[in-house]
Amino acid sequence: MLPLSLLSAAQNKPMLVELKNGETFNGHLVNCDNFMNITLREVYQTSADGDRFWKLKECYIRGSTVTCAQIKYLRVPDTLLDSVKEEQARAREASRSARGAGPGSRGGPCLYFHALPRI
Amino acid sequence: MLIFSVFKTLTDQRVTVELKNDLSITGVLKSVDQFLNIRLDSIKVLDEARHPHMMAVKNCFIRGSVVRYVQLPAEHVDTQLLEDATRREAANQSKR
Amino acid sequence: MSSLQGYIDRRVLLVLQDGRAIVGVLAGFDQKSNIVVSDCRERVYSLDEGVDEIPLGLYLVKGDMIALIGEIDDAIDQAVDPSTIRAEPITPIRY
Repeated sequence: MLPLSLLSAAQNKPMLVELKNGETFNGHLVNCDNFMNITLREVYQTSADGDRFWKLKECYIRGSTVTCAQIKYLRVPDTLLDSVKEEQARAREASRSARGAGPGSRGGPCLYFHALPRI
Repeated sequence: MLIFSVFKTLTDQRVTVELKNDLSITGVLKSVDQFLNIRLDSIKVLDEARHPHMMAVKNCFIRGSVVRYVQLPAEHVDTQLLEDATRREAANQSKR
Repeated sequence: MSSLQGYIDRRVLLVLQDGRAIVGVLAGFDQKSNIVVSDCRERVYSLDEGVDEIPLGLYLVKGDMIALIGEIDDAIDQAVDPSTIRAEPITPIRY
């Protein structure tokens, strides 16, 4: 399962988001995007030392500052799992046909590799 | 891209990877990708008494960004060829 | 990132940049090595007492926080008594 699919499936579900500075945000996921920018509602913010707390009605978290998200009580519907699997297969197929153009078609010619004698 | 190719030619060789958390891991290089993420098989942590955390781990994926050094088997790296390839690539780049 | 494919549905040890060690089952990953891990447990190491395991549940870990992912050999893992292990926590990544 792709991390981003899981996150979007967790909309309206409770979760705990930990930031790189150690602060945590406990709330319900409102929305997220491909950068893992997140909006939460009914949030309890906890300082890194765990000593101070804040209650926020809603907050926005920039994806690049996130360490991890603990998803609580998530029930992923089977249909979603299937659609994600199909999506992944399609993506794999697409990348394979893109690569089919031959070696070195991406990122320029690879001189070192081609210069080596085949053993 | 060149270094990626160097690593690809070293698959199935034993290498030692030193991480930026001072962990040193020896293992057989199984694969590398464009970010220089590394897959190692039959791994052994260097100072096992101090780092028992990986006791039950036999193969692992190391994120390229946390690698400090990779010790390569010298006999399997053709440095002359690498120098030539580097020059060629530099020349190509300046032409562009 | 084909190198993580073989770890899907396996029990893995996750070492994070801040030195945390987490075990769980790898459920998914993407291009940036963001990963989804189910049945997570943090293993807390200390020199004074044995290893403590704290259940965490389903986790999504950002790729830039990951240092290492190792496949756990269950036979070896179950053969060790965690309460006998004394070790310093893994050092955080220093650039």
